[in-house]
Amino acid sequence: MTREEIHERLTEVFRDVFDDPTLVISDATTARDVEGWDSLMHVNLIVATEKALNVSFTTKQVQSLTNVGDFISLIASRLT
Amino acid sequence: MSFLSPEFAVVLALGFALFYVSPSRYRPHVLLGLSYVFYVTWSAYYALLLFSLTALVYLASRLFERRTAGSEGFVAITAGVAAVLLVLALFKYGVWLIDAAIPTRAHGTAAAFALVAPLGLSYYSFKMVGYLLDVYWERVPVERRFVPVALYFSFFPQIVSGPIQRAGDFFGQLASLDTPDADRVVAGLRRILFGVFKKVVAADIPAVLVDKLHSSPSAFSPPELLLGAYCFAFQLYIDFSGLTDIAIGIGQLFGVTGPENFDRPFFAADVQEFWRRWHMSLTTWLTDYLFMPLRMALRRLGQLGLCTAIFVNMVAIGVWHGPSSTYLAFGVLNGVFMIVSALTLKKRKRFSQNRLALARVRRITAPVVTFHLIVFALIFFRAGSLTSAVEYVVHLLPGAQSTGIPLWRVGWLARTVGAQTLLAFAGIEAIEWARRTPEWSARFLSASPWVRWSVYYACIAMIVLSAQATRAFIYAQF
Repeated sequence: MTREEIHERLTEVFRDVFDDPTLVISDATTARDVEGWDSLMHVNLIVATEKALNVSFTTKQVQSLTNVGDFISLIASRLT
Repeated sequence: MSFLSPEFAVVLALGFALFYVSPSRYRPHVLLGLSYVFYVTWSAYYALLLFSLTALVYLASRLFERRTAGSEGFVAITAGVAAVLLVLALFKYGVWLIDAAIPTRAHGTAAAFALVAPLGLSYYSFKMVGYLLDVYWERVPVERRFVPVALYFSFFPQIVSGPIQRAGDFFGQLASLDTPDADRVVAGLRRILFGVFKKVVAADIPAVLVDKLHSSPSAFSPPELLLGAYCFAFQLYIDFSGLTDIAIGIGQLFGVTGPENFDRPFFAADVQEFWRRWHMSLTTWLTDYLFMPLRMALRRLGQLGLCTAIFVNMVAIGVWHGPSSTYLAFGVLNGVFMIVSALTLKKRKRFSQNRLALARVRRITAPVVTFHLIVFALIFFRAGSLTSAVEYVVHLLPGAQSTGIPLWRVGWLARTVGAQTLLAFAGIEAIEWARRTPEWSARFLSASPWVRWSVYYACIAMIVLSAQATRAFIYAQF
């Protein structure tokens, strides 16, 4: 799966988790840019992504994420 | 040595002078020396404990760095974390654990084990655990020099009651301890002045009333108890945020800016938001090092995993304050509030989205409801025992006693103190708002020196006039 495809799938996951069909994300998007993205929602996002893309993450990997770009890179590495 | 004592002011002035004249590369050493001087004035034995734990954590991090296999690193970090948590448990929960393990202990056993908890143990032990986990998760590189590590754990402005600064943030600032410029020093002094003003002039206003109400709740009417509950919430906030201001201000003098602990919490729209704005350095610490790992581990359990992780996290916040059933109840109550808030979040959002008029009303009612939930939980936080807290709550209920007394007919003391406390809170929140609003902050800073210095002198005069009966900081005991 290319980064663009992951980005597309991840956008769907974000929109579903944050209940916002207009939400747009980019590599530079951080928790501060999305209303309601706190620690509770963060894990919901991880779980939804794991389900949608059939991947699995460790706590260590999740703790080191700083923005959506990092998240896409992590997903890409887990898919290969 | 309290932050408010004249001795501390002298040590601080001498320490700053020494820091100022020292070459940049030796400034961390000067700060480390100052920090240990400060600690030794409280207890030389416990300074030795702090140093020993520091050496142990440093060793664990270096062993992790030199690991040849993944398991070796894991063992080093786990051993370090376990040792720190063991010391924390021994000093903070030792008597409680012994009581729980030996219910029929001989008379005097508790006294024999009643160890006085080392100053700042709750704070520096969390820094140590956080540092080791950050190293393990590779969020910060291992610091190879001993002095910055030792200074991070013992940094005197933060050791009494935080804020709990993260290792990466601290080490980053330590790398460039330039000669203090006038603007930074003045900003630090201004912050210290604001903190001392909060504590000495405002925080203790309701203290006598709150003490009275909690000593015998049944003797007072529901409106008085309600007023007292509001007053304690304001007292705790002003007291602790004042202490944080002083800690951040002192840090600023030496070029280390600590994290903020409060963001006008009583304006939060729900309990989740409240905990993102109250004692922030502790709550974010627990979120990162307890809630997140637990939530990740339990994520396959769905909502049950979410509720468990929230509950454990909030109970940890409660008992972090000490081994008491009242702190446990405070944590449990907040856990329940948080779970309900988290589970209804999506529904509440959708409900408001479709009803614009209601959403406007909600903007006002939501903070009021949240405030009352927190005030309710704080009754348990403040009470001397669980029985006393329940007694307070029972007598708070309408009809419990002195039915029908309107708020304006409460006792003279309660009315006067209540009004003064509310006024103090409103004034402080207005200053906080102005301080955080760049436009208003710039307006004050660019005002004529006459205006600024009149404000400073007025604050100093009020501090001097109120200084006689200042109590110890509430959070210094944790």
